[in-house]
Order: sequence, then C-alpha cells, then structure tokens
Amino acid sequence: MGNPIIIPSILVSATASKLRSLFFVIALLLSGGSAFSADRVYQKPSDFIRGSLGEIPANKAIVLDATQQKAVRAILGKRYKTTSIRHWSVGKKTAFILEEIGKTEYITTGYVVSGGKISTVKVLVYRETHGWEVARPAFTKQFEGAQLKGGNQLSRAAKNIAGATLSVRALTKLARLALYLDSIK
Amino acid sequence: MSEPTPKHRRRNTRNWHRWLGLVAALPLLWLSISGLLLNHAEFFGLNEAEVSTGWVLKRYNQVPEGEPRGVQVGDRKVSQWGVLLFLDHEDLQLNGNLVGAVAVKNRLVIATDERVGIVNGSGEMELDLDELSLPPLPVEGVGVKGEQLVIRSSGGTYRFANDFLSFEECEISLSTTSLPLLGDEAKDELESAIRTRNAMPLSRVILDAHSGKIFGFPGTFLTDLAAISVIVLTILGLRLFPKRKL
Repeated sequence: MGNPIIIPSILVSATASKLRSLFFVIALLLSGGSAFSADRVYQKPSDFIRGSLGEIPANKAIVLDATQQKAVRAILGKRYKTTSIRHWSVGKKTAFILEEIGKTEYITTGYVVSGGKISTVKVLVYRETHGWEVARPAFTKQFEGAQLKGGNQLSRAAKNIAGATLSVRALTKLARLALYLDSIK
Repeated sequence: MSEPTPKHRRRNTRNWHRWLGLVAALPLLWLSISGLLLNHAEFFGLNEAEVSTGWVLKRYNQVPEGEPRGVQVGDRKVSQWGVLLFLDHEDLQLNGNLVGAVAVKNRLVIATDERVGIVNGSGEMELDLDELSLPPLPVEGVGVKGEQLVIRSSGGTYRFANDFLSFEECEISLSTTSLPLLGDEAKDELESAIRTRNAMPLSRVILDAHSGKIFGFPGTFLTDLAAISVIVLTILGLRLFPKRKL
C-alpha cells in the first residue's frame, strides 16, 4: 500500500539530513525579521507651504477663545495641542500645518483650504509604526473638495484603511479642524 | 558511503523530533499561555491592569537613560531627560534638545534646537513654533531683552515681536550657559512622576512578551526559533506518521 500522507518533496528533502535541516532553519531565520520604522518625513512644512501657496507669507495665528476651544474639542474629542493655531494665507487659499496623535505619536499634516473647501491634503511627517498608508495620495485625495456640513462634519467621508484606522480618524478630524479654522480666521 | 536505510532515517527523525520538542517545550508553553491570556484579555482585566516596574518601563523607553538636566524659571522647572522634555513633572510636547527657557512677560518660552514653545500662565501650550516661524535652525540660545524674546540661532541673533510670530535681526549678545544637572531629589521626583503616569497596560506587556519584543533582539530571535521549531516538529511528525512497514 502506498504512503497515505503526501509530503511536499521540498520538505522531505529539507529534513533528509541534519545538515540540510540546519540549513533549512537558518534560511527561514534569515528570511524573516521585522522592520521598525523611524519618523517618515515626506515633506518639510516650509516646502509644503511654498509648494501650495507659491510663497511663504507671514504667519498669522488664530487665538482660540473659549467658545472656539469648545468647538475644537468637539471636533477632536480633546483639546488641540496649542491654544493658538498658525496659518498662512495667499489670496483665497489658506494653509494650516496641523498635528494630531494617531495612536501614540503625532502625525504632522498640511491642509490647504480654499473657498470653504479642502484643496490639498499632505501628510508631512508620519511618526507611528503602523498606518503610514494614509500618506498615500490615493487616500489624501479623498478629502479634496470636502467641506463642512452640520455639526462640523465633512461633506464626504474618507474610506477607512484596514490597519490604519486611528490614522484615518486623525486625518479626518484634522480635515474638519482645518475647515473650521478657515471659517473663523 | 552507503545510503541510510529507511529504519536508520526513521530513527534519525525520531531523535530530532524528541530533542527539538524538549528544547522548544518551555518557549512553546509560554507562547501558548500568553496567547490564551491575550485572547481573553478583557475577561482577565488585562487592559485595565498596569505595570509600572522600572525595568519594564525602561524597555519601553518610558524612563529615559542618562541624567536629567534642567533650568528653573520662576516657580516652573523645565527639564530634559534623554529625548523627553518636561515642564515640572508633565510631558512637554516639544521636539529637539533643550537649549533654555525664559520668562517673557507672563509667558514661559521654552527653546529647543528645533522648536520654540510658548506656554501661558495656566501651563497650556499657546504656540509651538517650528522652522516656518523661526530664524535659521538650529536655535542656539534664548534670552530676554526689554521684555522681548531674543533668540540666537545659526543665522544670527533675532528679537521677536510681542506675538512671537515675527522677528528681526538685532545686535544683542546672548551668553551661552549649559543646563545644570538635576539634583538627586529632583531626579527621583521626576522618575516617580514618569513611572506613575507612564505605566503600561498589562495586556501590552504580555503581548510584547508573547512576541519577544520586550526582551529586544534576543527575545524576538527566541520567539522566531520557537515558531520555527513548531514548523520543523510538524514536518518531522508528518515524516514519522506513516505506519512502519513490517
């Protein structure tokens, strides 16, 4: 009677001798390994402002009063890291460099708002170990044309990315914040 | 050299299976137990339980290496320990190496080589200035002249406007002082505050012990070895499975 278990020939070959088994184990070890990423700097904030607005205008800051801070808290679910938020304007375009924590680290993102709609979104510095896919243009382009509707919500929601849910949420919150800030600047 | 007989090969396989199983038993037991715990973390309350043991927090870089340095400005203390910055005992969300801190009017200005943070009287960060709002980096010194912020950077010395959003070059000399080390008592207080605040969830610690990451490369390597042992044991087991021909 023939062998009832079919064992792939590569496995039979790999375990035929001690030497081959050792080689097999070492090869498997070397083929594995994990990669820990450091900060991913996609673009310097100054380059983003220059690229989006054509120049770097003087920076101004919105000093959030108590009512505005309350609105910001409603958008982010917590206070923004600073009580004044800088912005740069040329014509109708206003750029914001905003930061929000994805899971444990800040994601630095540039937003340009024009005529109450988002015209550009770019992740500038990504510091989390997972979820960097939000920096891809295919994702950030989803925000283009979005505007605020009732309750400071976006008129169009960005699709989630599996494994990057917190980063997607962070960028969505910041998009809402950028539009809100543009409306009060 | 003669080919090994099927009997010889079978005995060889059994020996490998036996010894590899013995060596891998302990790591596999740990992987199984920790895996079960993680699968039922909520039931065991592992998400709520916290670990603040010194060596565990050090593995997560929550207790920095080296000696903390700092500067006292009025009743506030700004310090740096490793890469972390603190205002009194609270984390300061500012990047870079601490250069100095000064009081300007009723605000505290904290300068690192790449950022300047403006903290108001209530301890809230009012502005976080980066390369877009600062003279050419790195920032090398910080001071006050006539109630105005003065910053020395690689490009020269600059006096800031009252809103901190614009600056102009000036001819003011700023002395360079190195940040003094914190005393033992201040260091202990800071470490105690860090350990209390930065305690890690037990589920996270078990997860990283499960993957071996908490022990660094040796831990990951051992976990990889245990996983590979399972693969090899499975293969050897499959080789031993067919009934011996009589």
